[in-house]
Amino acid sequence: MKYEIRYKPAFATVFLTLNPGDRLTAEAGAMASMAAPLSMQTEFSGGLIPGLLKKFLGGESLFVNVFTNETQQPLELVLTQSTVGDVGLIELQGNEICFQPGAYIAHTPGVQMGVQWAGFSSWFAGEGLFKLRLSGRGLVFFGAYGGLSQRRVNGDFTVDTGHLVAYEPGIQMNIRLASGLIGSVTSGEGLVNRLTGQGTVYLQSRSTDGLVRFLRSKLR
Amino acid sequence: MKVDILHQPESAIAKIDMAPQEELTAEAGAMVSMSGHMNVNTTLRKGKGGGVFGGLKRMLAGESLFLSVFRSGEQPAEIYLAPKLMGDILPYQIDQHELVIQSTGYLASTPGVDLDLGFQGLKSVFSGESIFWLTASGSGLVLLSAFGGIYEIKVDGEYIVDTGHIVAFEKTLSFSITKAGSSWVGAFLGGEGLVCRFQGQGRLFCQTHNPGAFGRLIGSKLPPR
Repeated sequence: MKYEIRYKPAFATVFLTLNPGDRLTAEAGAMASMAAPLSMQTEFSGGLIPGLLKKFLGGESLFVNVFTNETQQPLELVLTQSTVGDVGLIELQGNEICFQPGAYIAHTPGVQMGVQWAGFSSWFAGEGLFKLRLSGRGLVFFGAYGGLSQRRVNGDFTVDTGHLVAYEPGIQMNIRLASGLIGSVTSGEGLVNRLTGQGTVYLQSRSTDGLVRFLRSKLR
Repeated sequence: MKVDILHQPESAIAKIDMAPQEELTAEAGAMVSMSGHMNVNTTLRKGKGGGVFGGLKRMLAGESLFLSVFRSGEQPAEIYLAPKLMGDILPYQIDQHELVIQSTGYLASTPGVDLDLGFQGLKSVFSGESIFWLTASGSGLVLLSAFGGIYEIKVDGEYIVDTGHIVAFEKTLSFSITKAGSSWVGAFLGGEGLVCRFQGQGRLFCQTHNPGAFGRLIGSKLPPR
């Protein structure tokens, strides 16, 4: 399989070439275009029960599409995300990564999809009881609204909830008010996410919540 | 007439230098700035006939396009045109092939290009989405706009595109509306819904992002009007 992420960073889009026998699993709706002989099958993401957990308690879609090249020639596939922004790539080598709702785009065989308990504080922040967890060996594509920043957390780090895209499971999340009740309301920071532990996090430079708040104030 | 596309790809804007006595047609509202002596007329282009019911149906579907016609007059003139969404602009030279354009993909065209609204072959299936299609023929330049980047596929054989990602395609391509996978259940549950399957030989222009998908993502969080 060959891949290239073009139109970075504003309109990052994944252009893939699947060789004969190659398989790729992608988020429902991620396919923009593809060569017609490529076969596409819809499956429950990670099986029925994890799929249901993800759908109803994690804010992810219940289904994924599996693309398989059953022909004898290389075939093209183009995958994208619904927001504008950058696309990142993680090569898993036995480690794991958790995604916030909406960030996952696709993964290669060898990677398993599962769910990770995210805690009640995540539930209260409207981000689901469970997070999508990918483990195993292979490539994982994920998207962000805006640019992507990678940061190593060692100990204690605070992020705005809407800007977190992905994190390693060694990190615990504690959602809380940014600076006391009055301060949080007046500063506009609202809820923040205090991360503790060891691992890498990925942040997006814009948040869809921010866009929604902006547009909401313009509607009348 | 000289066309330059600036600030590609995310904030593309077309800068057009017109000689005296030249004319340019553009989507109404696309004008950003222009020379003071430019003469402007706005017209409403409606889809072609089809009897009383055809006319009614088009009225209900809102299938009409406001176009502005810019004329330079006695002196050279300059105009800047931009689409509403973030994205790229692509100039396409029409000669022998007709081009089918998704209505929001049309930005502007030169006078030798004839625009025909209400290309019937595609629209009825996109229920719930207010997109319609226009056919450009004749000879001249068309400026296409997209949400995101524009990538070209030289179709030779068969190619599948999610309906929200089509910008324009040459009419030498035949197409059918179909499901992407092998089962109808999967087509709807899998989020791809209906796709367009192109056949034959010709150029196809796709946009990297789907305005409908972005609109639904943000729109679902906004209070109802």
